[in-house]
Amino acid sequence: MRKPTLYPAMMSSLALALTLASGPARADAGASGAGPIRIGVNEPLTGPFAASGTYVVNGAKIAADEINAQGGVLGRKIELVIEDNKSNPTEAAAVAEKLITSDKTPVMMGAWGSSLTLAVMPKLADYETPMLVETSSSGKITTTGNPYVFRISPPSALEAEAFAPMVGKIGLKKVDFIVINNDWGRGAAADFTKMLKDKGVAVGLVETMDQGAQDMSAQLSKLKGSDADTIMITAAVDQLTLLFKQMSALGLKKRIITTGGSQNPDQIIAQAGGAADGTLHLTTFLPWYPDRTPNPKATTYFIEEWKKRGFQFAGVTESFRGYDGIRTIAQAIAKAGSTEAAQIKAAFWAVDFTGLNGQIRFAKSGPAGRESGQSKPDVYLIRIESGRVVMPEL
Amino acid sequence: MTRLLPLALLAGLALLPLGLDANPYLLNALITTGILTIGAMSLNLLLGFTGQLSLGHIAFFGIGAYVSALTSLGFEVELGFGIRVVHEPWPAALGFLLAVVAAGLCGWLIGRLSFRVRGAYFVIVTISFAEVVRLVALNWVELTQGPLALTGIPALTLGLPGLGSWTLRTKVQNYYLVLAVGTLCYLMIARLVGSRFGRAMRGLKENESLALSVGINATRTLTVAAVISAAMAGAAGSLYAHYLRIIDPDVFLFATTVTMVIMVVGGGKGTLMGPVVGGLVFGLLPVALRPVMAPEAQWIVFGLVLIAILFVMPRGLVPGLAGLLTPRRRGEAPTGSAIQPVEVRS
Amino acid sequence: MDQLLQHLVNTLILGGTYALLGIGLTLIFGIMNVVNFTHGALYTMGAYLMYLAVTALGLGFFLALPAAILGGLLLGAVIEFVLLRPLRGSDIDTTMLVMIGAGIVLQSGTLWIFGGVAKSVPTPFPDAPLHLGPVSVSWLRLFVLGAALALIGLTYALINRTRLGLAMRATFQDHDTAALMGVNVRLIYTATFAIGSSLAAAAGALLGPVYVVFPQMGGLAELKAFAIVILGGLGNITGAAIGGFILALAEELGAGYISSGYRDAMGFLIIIAVLVFRPTGLFARAERIG
Repeated sequence: MRKPTLYPAMMSSLALALTLASGPARADAGASGAGPIRIGVNEPLTGPFAASGTYVVNGAKIAADEINAQGGVLGRKIELVIEDNKSNPTEAAAVAEKLITSDKTPVMMGAWGSSLTLAVMPKLADYETPMLVETSSSGKITTTGNPYVFRISPPSALEAEAFAPMVGKIGLKKVDFIVINNDWGRGAAADFTKMLKDKGVAVGLVETMDQGAQDMSAQLSKLKGSDADTIMITAAVDQLTLLFKQMSALGLKKRIITTGGSQNPDQIIAQAGGAADGTLHLTTFLPWYPDRTPNPKATTYFIEEWKKRGFQFAGVTESFRGYDGIRTIAQAIAKAGSTEAAQIKAAFWAVDFTGLNGQIRFAKSGPAGRESGQSKPDVYLIRIESGRVVMPEL
Repeated sequence: MTRLLPLALLAGLALLPLGLDANPYLLNALITTGILTIGAMSLNLLLGFTGQLSLGHIAFFGIGAYVSALTSLGFEVELGFGIRVVHEPWPAALGFLLAVVAAGLCGWLIGRLSFRVRGAYFVIVTISFAEVVRLVALNWVELTQGPLALTGIPALTLGLPGLGSWTLRTKVQNYYLVLAVGTLCYLMIARLVGSRFGRAMRGLKENESLALSVGINATRTLTVAAVISAAMAGAAGSLYAHYLRIIDPDVFLFATTVTMVIMVVGGGKGTLMGPVVGGLVFGLLPVALRPVMAPEAQWIVFGLVLIAILFVMPRGLVPGLAGLLTPRRRGEAPTGSAIQPVEVRS
Repeated sequence: MDQLLQHLVNTLILGGTYALLGIGLTLIFGIMNVVNFTHGALYTMGAYLMYLAVTALGLGFFLALPAAILGGLLLGAVIEFVLLRPLRGSDIDTTMLVMIGAGIVLQSGTLWIFGGVAKSVPTPFPDAPLHLGPVSVSWLRLFVLGAALALIGLTYALINRTRLGLAMRATFQDHDTAALMGVNVRLIYTATFAIGSSLAAAAGALLGPVYVVFPQMGGLAELKAFAIVILGGLGNITGAAIGGFILALAEELGAGYISSGYRDAMGFLIIIAVLVFRPTGLFARAERIG
């Protein structure tokens, strides 16, 4: 029973699959030459974070088109190489590897969630390629000493710091937390607890809910029985909607403040209806009042363009990060005057412009000599009233 | 044939990095695929050779990853009653060994508990075990950092006293390490399956009551198989932790077990080469699909390919292809035991 | 005390739909010996069908519910006919993997068609809850409990009072004998899978409006359904119904009084405990169905 043909055939098909997988070799396109400048985008397009990742990518596309319409960067067009990290850290690291080595992108944006970004970070150091972090909020990202990381979203400590002056004005006395059980939620609970205690506000329960959990009645029943006057929540829009509906069903009436920047108030209004009335939200973008944003012209342009493309208005509170992220990268490339990763990394420190949510300018963060860049966006407190977003006077 | 062809595949895999022109992305895909393939091979020991479908296999993989990472990172936990455990970082290679031992112990424990039940009950008790372990990893924040992930895990350092040591930082080094561990596991499984013990395992799979009547101790046989299988999965998990250098509770996701099961059954359960071929095919399929279609469509194709393989070759790729390439003599049964899963020596 | 009462009310409401999920799965398990890994996807499909029926078709909430259940019934019949019928006689692993493949296809297809943004199903019920002393419950959830109990009752009647049910029970006990006695076993299998699927879809259609509808919603539901089935014993419908309520109780009390982080661990811990101490389920009469 000799069958010598089987395995050589398998081997050659394996080799073929690998050749196919590596795609057409375009080694020169990214780093040099006259083709477009390639920018890697590493976002969750499938899996639990698919909706948010898709929003960010759509925002990024608007920025790329706008930049290209104005003549591109360094006289060349930019091209986004968009890859799906499947909401999975292993995959996020693999995608970074592919973008850097096979697509030759000298700079990337990504990777939405904190564990996704953390998984990518060793790759950045290995290949000395900078990445702009647009959404992740874990403190670890900018404190572990990875000099290739530049972040425009606020870590929860920055958010807490921005919220600190409002604590007295709102009149918080005792706060309970309910947060999503991941780095984002737990990090927010820890940072806000610290800030509140410094301000003399008592902190009671810290309840968690699993990512993807749909029924929080048990946790809410417990919160209902507590003597705190305020509940702070960190979760993405879907779970916030559920929480508001379930709070209303339980007759739980306390002051609600949400944090984390993924609230998407319009979707909450559409889906939770009256249950969301009176809730307060800390956000980093004010699309409802373009005039009150730091850069009204850019905000208006972005919102118009978003609507023109037929996307839901509710998505802008996520997608503006993709838009700002790509514009930040483009400016870094322009300032570098080069498409070499090392020059772009150095040029990030010189970026300075008014983004949709504040001045984008990187400050050093983390251990000396290996600092990451952290920009400090504006933080706003908004309130939902009768299905509309208003800014409470404080 | 079963002797020669794995050697050919091994030689091919050993030479592959040269042919790939050191393309790091493809090497990365091959390394992660290789690690999962080791997991699949260990799963095959239970699923293929003893017929016990464990859907909690990722638990051992994840335990291996966490044990190895924590050994090399150090930790400090409060166990209650005022007992504090402080552990200083140890070399990563020790972490690897401890991962194997710890995963093996868990395999023993779970084997003792869950081999009281069979079939669907066994499937579900193993799923439950994996989920409980995942939730512990997620919620025991002091030890595991919970969802904040364990970061900065050192790369493996291999060394022999007197000969110096090497820290495996590059892709190619990691590739050969995974290949070496994979080959070792393959050889161990091959030896085991060909032994008396292997016959006992297969006896249990084919006809449990008959096996019992000839004096095979079912629970002991299955437990030993579970220990070896879990230890190998733990080794794979340790490789994973030190290669990726970050782990979070997502390593315990049910989807990864499903991927391993797909590798085993798609490749051919109960054959030595099945999980290897299945591992390569299903590990690299997403890589091959990535450039040609939308992300959602990639998953749909993945699912359809799985269904298609099971319909066309219900026994998996390796027996299926072997069957195709063997001119069938008339009167020989096309399925059933016509193709011996492994050579049995004694 | 007030809090405990609220937890108990929550348990009742949650338990109803858990029971529905569990019964659908245990039927398929018990009669067909198929580990149905499309159960979660069918739950998701039920929710999306409900969403489509209410928004795109404008059927109205109370008409949309039976439409979604019917849709689940048809989808289940198609899956059985296309994927399971040709594989009859293959081992449990093969069918299970085919079901996993089908589950991946259904879930990714949903994501492809509808996108990842969660949808909300409008309902005719008032936002304000019903207050019963210290306990509050929404009208929608009360309706869901009522509908779930009605569907459980209906399934019971179907299995214990109809010729189809008799044939199903006969097939469960011994499909060869049933075939000899003139039962069309192939038809029974299709019917069983379709009914089981429609129950999963019903659970999705009922819970979709309570929660939100998104492509990954079925994953956790599926694992919980497995837990419930094990609690009750394979193929034991009464067991699955009670198992649903026990799981809900364990989760509520676990999250309320132990730690919310381990809420979802409760079900699995129970399973492990049950299998260690009472390996055939809490209500160990797996030889019969009904």
